[in-house]
Amino acid sequence: MTARPEITITVNGIAHTRAVDPRLLLSDFLRHELGLTGTHVGCEHGVCGACTILLDGRSARSCLLLAVQLDGAAIETVESLGTLERLGRVQEAFRSHHALQCGFCTPGFLMTITDMLRHHPLESDAEIREALSGNICRCTGYEHIVNAVRELARERGPLK
Amino acid sequence: MKPARFDYVRAEAVAHAAAILADAGGDGKVLAGGQSLMPMVNFRLVKPSVLVDINHVAGLDKITLADGRLSLGALVRHRMTAENALVETHIPVLRHAMKHVAHLTVRNRGTFCGSVCHADPAAEMPMMTLLLDGLIHTASTRANRVIAARDFFVGSLVTALAPDELVTAVTLDTLPEGAGWGFAEFARRHGDYALASVAVVLERHGGVARNVRVATMGVGELPARMDTVAAALEGTAMDDRVLDGAVDLLRAAVSPNSDLNASADYRRHLVGTLARRALADAWARAREAAQ
Amino acid sequence: MTVPPKSADAAVELRPKLVGQRIKRTEDPRLLTGSGRYVDDIALPGMLHVAVRRSDQPHARILSIDVGEAFSIPGVLAIFDARDIEADILPAIPTSRMDGYYATPIRPLAQDKVRYAGEPVVAVVAESRYAAEDALEQITIAYEPLPFAIRQVDAVEPGAPLLHAEAGSNVIIARQFQRGDVDAAIAAAPLVVRGRFRMTRKTAVPMENRSYLADWDKRRRALTLHTSSNIPGIVRDVLADCLDLPGNRLRVVAPDVGGSFGGKGSLNHEEMLVCVLAKKLERAVKFTADRMEDLTAMSQAFDELIDAELAVDAEGRLLGLRADVIGDIGAYSIYPWTGALEPVQVVSFLPGPYRMEHYRGRVRGVLTPKPPTGPYRGVGRPSSTFAMERLIDMAARRLGLDPVEIRRRNLVTAEEFPYRTGSGIIWDKSAFQECLDGACADYPALVQARDAARAEGRLVGIGLASYAELTGIGSRIAVAPGMPINTGTETAAIRIDATGAVTAAFGISSHGQGLETTLAQIVADELGCRFEDVEIQHGDSDLVPMGTGTYASRSAVLGGGAATKSARVVKTKVLKAAAHLMDVPMEDLEAENGLIRARSSNAVLTFKEVARAVYSQMGRIPYDQREDLVAEETYDPYLGTASASTHLAMVEVDRDTFGVTVTHFVVAEDCGRIINPLIVEGQVHGAVAQGIGAALLEEVVHDDEGQLLTASLADYLVPVATNMPPIGIVHIEADLPNNLGGFRGMGEGGTIGAPAAIANAISDALSPVGIEIDTLPATPERLFRLVEAAKARMARDKPAE
Repeated sequence: MTARPEITITVNGIAHTRAVDPRLLLSDFLRHELGLTGTHVGCEHGVCGACTILLDGRSARSCLLLAVQLDGAAIETVESLGTLERLGRVQEAFRSHHALQCGFCTPGFLMTITDMLRHHPLESDAEIREALSGNICRCTGYEHIVNAVRELARERGPLK
Repeated sequence: MKPARFDYVRAEAVAHAAAILADAGGDGKVLAGGQSLMPMVNFRLVKPSVLVDINHVAGLDKITLADGRLSLGALVRHRMTAENALVETHIPVLRHAMKHVAHLTVRNRGTFCGSVCHADPAAEMPMMTLLLDGLIHTASTRANRVIAARDFFVGSLVTALAPDELVTAVTLDTLPEGAGWGFAEFARRHGDYALASVAVVLERHGGVARNVRVATMGVGELPARMDTVAAALEGTAMDDRVLDGAVDLLRAAVSPNSDLNASADYRRHLVGTLARRALADAWARAREAAQ
Repeated sequence: MTVPPKSADAAVELRPKLVGQRIKRTEDPRLLTGSGRYVDDIALPGMLHVAVRRSDQPHARILSIDVGEAFSIPGVLAIFDARDIEADILPAIPTSRMDGYYATPIRPLAQDKVRYAGEPVVAVVAESRYAAEDALEQITIAYEPLPFAIRQVDAVEPGAPLLHAEAGSNVIIARQFQRGDVDAAIAAAPLVVRGRFRMTRKTAVPMENRSYLADWDKRRRALTLHTSSNIPGIVRDVLADCLDLPGNRLRVVAPDVGGSFGGKGSLNHEEMLVCVLAKKLERAVKFTADRMEDLTAMSQAFDELIDAELAVDAEGRLLGLRADVIGDIGAYSIYPWTGALEPVQVVSFLPGPYRMEHYRGRVRGVLTPKPPTGPYRGVGRPSSTFAMERLIDMAARRLGLDPVEIRRRNLVTAEEFPYRTGSGIIWDKSAFQECLDGACADYPALVQARDAARAEGRLVGIGLASYAELTGIGSRIAVAPGMPINTGTETAAIRIDATGAVTAAFGISSHGQGLETTLAQIVADELGCRFEDVEIQHGDSDLVPMGTGTYASRSAVLGGGAATKSARVVKTKVLKAAAHLMDVPMEDLEAENGLIRARSSNAVLTFKEVARAVYSQMGRIPYDQREDLVAEETYDPYLGTASASTHLAMVEVDRDTFGVTVTHFVVAEDCGRIINPLIVEGQVHGAVAQGIGAALLEEVVHDDEGQLLTASLADYLVPVATNMPPIGIVHIEADLPNNLGGFRGMGEGGTIGAPAAIANAISDALSPVGIEIDTLPATPERLFRLVEAAKARMARDKPAE
């Protein structure tokens, strides 16, 4: 039992080793220790979805994870999806459909949708809306987000 | 909203986890999916001295079938339950119930056993455990126990689990082929904790209902088995008159509380409505058992 | 129905290029890649963190504060209460010229008394938020509980315990608007419908919680406040007084802001607090609210009780409206809007977009021990529209008139503009009737579908709501009654620098509206430069001498107008210089897409070439005719412009669970010339979602003990994707308003119409049992109780067999 265990977390393909306070939330670890401020903190009780990241390829709330428990894990954040010069496909779809306004919830949506596109059929609007229902957006009324995801799901085709 | 200080231990085995819990003198908490625990830790409503992380304990993430019962290990995530072929075949009502458990992202992490341990009166898994005569397998440095679901849920967020015990698995009854099931739930928004929910399983023999089981949640401090209702349906043809009677019986049997979302009167009304839907669905799904 | 737009401003009219196009937003790449910079993303060297211990009492005297072992927690540096900072900052006073109004002072920390559960009392400064929160647990505050009245109906009574004894009453606002003789009109009317309407308390819930970071520059004795505010200019001006700092040593910056909807549009306790602490400690100090704090203590909204009676004649023509409104303004009058903003707006807008002679609206704003109410999308009009549109449907039902027809008969028609309402609002020409037609294009089919569903025993209903709002308000009208600050002007400072780049700086403060895109569209069109060469700057008090921010659906109208004015001046300077360089008359030149061409020759110059010649290549332009390519013009639309809309909602009420599903939603709106349809549609969708939230889900609940019961997002329910239907939008661009650019403001509208439309639809669905919705949100619980009561009523009224 150490006061500040040393952990190594791979974030967006880069391994980071840090000694951390056991209570440090992953969201704070990403933002404050690594300076990856694209992951946003909206509620810290697992409801809003703004802090969603991928943990070993699946979406997870980073406010409900402790950095210390993720020694050896692989995390993907919004910073992995594309660059300002070259947006990733999900980002591009968001832009062309105007699926973001203030942008605060957006990284969480992008990471959730990345998981959903990999693992869920998303065959109907109802299914898309259900898949998005764990993320709160207060600006868009969701319609443009649904439009973007519908386009992405069609483009992807049926899941294997 | 940041957690208070605690120590952290990554448990290597169940025995290791049990030893840490024993050392913690009642202040240890088991961390599995963390989807119920961590919000409470962040709110400082729960301030453990040590968090025992069982996520890396080998062998706990299995769903297995043995002796007509399905066993879900302590690291079986909701997503695994929802996607598991054994669950689909043997307990289709459980697979259906998973659709109502929070959201996909939460289901990626949250565990069946964790939800049972958290014992939220408006959560699906405690009710399903009760419905399916679940047995909760626990470990501690003192003894391993098997606790029947009926004895496990003690109050809102309170269980029979001792502070030094951890749950290693929950086993559930499987349903005979052709068994009917129904599940009805109402929540303000998709994925929210339910205002009320009813789950039903039954069999159909000679045109009448047999082995009826009814469970509710959201209408009291605890999920509940509605034995009087089930008894009243036993051997009936589940016609409208019988169902009406069952609903009346159920409404009389529950003692819901009033809170922010709903009054006791509304909840009593709602649970009856949901029960009627779940019972009708179960009856419609039940296939006549081969004699 | 589409009428070709006529404009008072032909110069804009002739060549719309970027304006009107679905341009992808300039803001997006940074926000999509996690490269946005919100206040909490900013980390300064040596930055300290604040956590706030808040009152757990609704009304109490502070007897003592004991910090316990707080200082033994590693990383805890300092602990402050009101006494420690009293000398360092003056309270902010939300003054107003209203008669009989009492301005409650606003302080960073509660002094002597607390007046709502959640009010900041003690501030802990530490090296991390974790340590600061550890220290909070050590602090004990002893209170002497004081009496209070938590509900507005009680607080308004003469003998009620006073929340601010200095005010002498809990009623600190009382206004009345009157025209004609409403009492006589009601007494003589063939039909009077009445109700007590209540839109319960809401909160804005922007996804980014409030965050403030103050940085004290010892060397310059200057302070920079980074704030998640949508009114940085207003915050600068008031804090300059409170902190006794001149504007050149106080800079207020709103970087990327994660939504506001009004919730970040007032001065906050903690905004004042970080400034004082940074100055005192000579360190950078940050406060970032967590969600519980924002739900507990951010400004809240609505919460009026509206007693209203509407008189109509036998043909459904509106004769008069009489209303008595009690607004629950919470514990303090908010800066700068005052507690009058919301409730007074209710009685100003109650007469709606209708022709009606007689009106009296009385309003009282009453103090209660709850968080102060402030602006929230729609301000007053969601409640006024809810009440008025309900009364109109109630009248229609009594008269057997179709809801569309009664509105058609009463909406102000094209010939009647400008129309002065009973409360004195003047509607300029806007598409009132056309919006009704636009929203109801499919009405007959929907009615058929509803009737078919009813025949199956389903509870399906259709509801309409028509409203108009004042947007883009100029200096003639105060946004809030009697408010001493100016919100009616906007300045754009545009410059073409020596590299030919165009920078346009504003006092507005975009926080999701996409103004970096829409204002660049306007600037590029006006200047004739390339869109991508324009950089829009905003959200920084240093940019223009006086700016306020983005609120009240003003920025497209005022910012767009200022952009147009300044760009025209700069363009003249560019063309003048180019005329010299190209040796052609200025009138012969035109600028488009970054190129300046002579109509009479093939000569072409780029903006960059002109800029070089002006700034660097001395001698090319005679020295006495050289002018910097800059302009800073202020636009004042003087009056405002009306935006109009009709919403149509179709709902189904589950007859067993009483859950409501919105199955169909259409918005027809007239927002004048559309700058960017993508953005307009996004604003409508988002505002309607908040309206649907207000109608069905959202409710801030304080119990009788004054404690908040909705302190998490699991309790304060905002709409998620599954709550929203697809929204049909019909743009009506009738006559353009008489302002620069022809724009009307449109950010708030969706929240104004949707609650009323849904309330009317639910009432229609439940009309077989005679239910009229008077309280929102229409939760399953409320509908259950209404239906139970209706059943009991019907059983009682049924003659005995």
